[in-house]
Amino acid sequence: MTTPLEIGAGETALFWILAPISVIAALGLLFARKSVHAALSMIVVMLIAGVFYIANEAPFVGIIQIVVYSGAVMMLFLFVVMLVGRDASDSLIETIRGQRLATVLVTLGLVALLTVVVGQVTWGGAVGLAATNTETGNVTGLAYLIFGRYVWIFEVSALLLITAAVASMVLAHRTRLAPPPNQRAWAARRFREGKHLAGLPAPGVYARHNAVDTPALLPDGSISELSVSRVLAARSQVASPERFADAQDEIEREIEEGSER
Amino acid sequence: MTNPYTPMLILVALGAGFVIFSVGLAQIVGPKRYNRAKAEAYECGIQPSPQAAEGGRFPIKYYLTAMLFIIFDIEAVFLYPYAVAFDQLGLFTLLAMFLFLLNAFFIADAYVWKRGGFEWD
Amino acid sequence: MIAQVVSSGVTSLALDGARENPLADFSDTPLWLTAIKAVGIFAYLLIQVLLVIWFERRVIGRMQQRPGPNRNGPFGLLQSLADGVKSMLKEDVRPKASDAIVFTVAPILFASMAFVAFSIIPLGPDVSMFGYRTPLQLTDLPVAVLLVLAAAGVAAYGVIMAGWASGSTYPMLGGLRSSAQIISYEIAMGLSLVAVFLYAGSMSTSQIVAAQAEQGWFIIAAAFSFVVYVITMVGETNRLPFDLAEGEGEIVGGYFTEYSGMRFAMFFLAEYINMFTVSAIATTLFLGGWQAPPGIAAINDGMFNEGWWGLLWFTLKMWLFMFLFVWLRGTLPRTRYDQFMKFGWKFLIPASLVWIVLVALVRGADAGFFGDSTFGILGRDFPVPVLFILGAALLLMIIGFTLWDRAAERRRAERREESVIDVDPFAGGYPVPPLPGQRLVEPGSARVGRTQTDIHTDASGSGAATAVVVSDKED
Repeated sequence: MTTPLEIGAGETALFWILAPISVIAALGLLFARKSVHAALSMIVVMLIAGVFYIANEAPFVGIIQIVVYSGAVMMLFLFVVMLVGRDASDSLIETIRGQRLATVLVTLGLVALLTVVVGQVTWGGAVGLAATNTETGNVTGLAYLIFGRYVWIFEVSALLLITAAVASMVLAHRTRLAPPPNQRAWAARRFREGKHLAGLPAPGVYARHNAVDTPALLPDGSISELSVSRVLAARSQVASPERFADAQDEIEREIEEGSER
Repeated sequence: MTNPYTPMLILVALGAGFVIFSVGLAQIVGPKRYNRAKAEAYECGIQPSPQAAEGGRFPIKYYLTAMLFIIFDIEAVFLYPYAVAFDQLGLFTLLAMFLFLLNAFFIADAYVWKRGGFEWD
Repeated sequence: MIAQVVSSGVTSLALDGARENPLADFSDTPLWLTAIKAVGIFAYLLIQVLLVIWFERRVIGRMQQRPGPNRNGPFGLLQSLADGVKSMLKEDVRPKASDAIVFTVAPILFASMAFVAFSIIPLGPDVSMFGYRTPLQLTDLPVAVLLVLAAAGVAAYGVIMAGWASGSTYPMLGGLRSSAQIISYEIAMGLSLVAVFLYAGSMSTSQIVAAQAEQGWFIIAAAFSFVVYVITMVGETNRLPFDLAEGEGEIVGGYFTEYSGMRFAMFFLAEYINMFTVSAIATTLFLGGWQAPPGIAAINDGMFNEGWWGLLWFTLKMWLFMFLFVWLRGTLPRTRYDQFMKFGWKFLIPASLVWIVLVALVRGADAGFFGDSTFGILGRDFPVPVLFILGAALLLMIIGFTLWDRAAERRRAERREESVIDVDPFAGGYPVPPLPGQRLVEPGSARVGRTQTDIHTDASGSGAATAVVVSDKED
């Protein structure tokens, strides 16, 4: 039971391949200019951590690490897109004076502290989980620990999680004064106001062109302003339909000529 | 056969090899005809939207549900070891689990629902 | 203090890893045989993908009263192969604004991850290959089913990365929608598996199949979980009615709008492999895996329940789900993505949790947590507490439905009272159907005169019918 564990060649190879990738990804998380690249580096770090757990004979923890963190980092990605912007990159201008110097000093201090503390720790020989995994079962053993010795911590973690849920509601939720109108209410309102009962007119479809930036023509040949999105109008991206209408006239003329011949 | 992960690696390596080979071969076999319009972003025939200011932020209407997702995901994880070891854990753990579910799932869910957290902004 | 009592109580129990760890025995399988099996599964998948694309187009064709592809090869069977060759010879365009590395890595990651899951699916029982006795399964783990969830979670990054790296609006929207979809279904999917783990006492696929041989297929014992899983698996594969991330009527092609040629084909391939993966998981967890259907299993002492026959039953069951996918696509319109999210969070998750509580109680009664008295029905013994549990569940359900019904009735009544204006359909001289919020009053009834004045006082903001009335007066 207490014989020290030999680390196999496969595991050693795995470590020396994945560990440098993990370190590079972790550095990428810090130094990537684009915030999305940083988020992607982070998921690489988390995945490799999961693989290391699995290699250390803790398959359940490893898989859960991958499942939970792949979801969590994706939410991080959403918040990056929402708050920072899809193409935003870091600006390297120092906003607080002396910030860099202070950072370097604090970091060096932390490194020194950690080196001293970790250096004093002595480890016994690794035992490994192989015996436990076959006799008790990895997941069963874990369940026995969570729901046995640590059952109160487990219950308290429920409180922690509910606090997180409530906190996210209290801090981030904006309570509406009235319920938002649904599709039915919108339709009812449209009819009550008697405007655009059949919806707004669609953008124009021409013989040689068909895009949302091309306005439709009204029966008298004038342009229907309503048929083009307000956004395109504000960006002044609305195309003039004359070209396409002329092309159509030309085709019609050719057809007429052809039938007369 | 010793390691149960080796066969999985073999299958994934086969799959990844096939994918990389196909994509790589297509680069060689396929034609390359440069055209400025072809390299533009596709927006159904209109001119591509100009690069948005401030890095192009997108409104995420469901950000609150996204936060709750992480919390509920972590909660759900506890159910797996419990389900697997169910027979060996006994009545007390069953009650402990119900207390956990009541706290972390039912009350939290009811609160968020009542406050309108699942409605979009 | 109680914790100590419990922990000591649990320690005294014999903890049994045999139930949790995989049943499939790979000790007689050399590495080269594993490699051959891997190649076999790879080919099995690719050939089925080619077949199912043809199958889908033909069946959808039938449903829409047209023949579908029928030119290349007999019955058009080689159509998908021809499409594959075509996309190989197409130009692979990469947009100017895209992020070069991420744009290429996304389809490769997405397609590679699709292969992971099939390594733990038991395609059949033990067979002999080249003189070795080996299971028709590549490998098995104590956490096999969760591994599939993990692979799907990583594959989702393929979609998100493709959406972001394209540097274009529609793919970005598709990627964000795909993450919205993951939020909607993933927890419900995870919860739907819990009932199966409760019954089987293991997350290893070979153990789950063996447990179903003993306890009957879990589609019966975990019926509601099966329904939830089927709904969420459609969400996971981005298929109609949940193809929000692609939505070709709204956002062109969603996350792969900017992809073409082989890189696009890889997304296509992976989506179909994912369909097979989720179907295979559903088959393994709920439909007894490779086991023969009940009637056939009894023939000749279980002759059809052994060896290579398992592969046949497994494939047939999987294709049942493939037909379901095609059928859904031919039948249902697309949901809006806030609707899917509401459905997930307001129905699937709470209902799955209530179901888990119910299953846990029944299993607890089965394991003798509430006493040992039993009663027999149909030659099987059931513990007595099950009666109480089921009775209480039924009672709660009846109360719940009654409350729901009353609330719905109240809401309906409110809406009726809210804004009802009586109108005379002939007020303007022509018959006019009532607008929303208006109620018809037959001409000649006593109330007509009053309603007319109602409309006049409301003339400023009210509908077209009113306008007609007003203009009549002005004449």
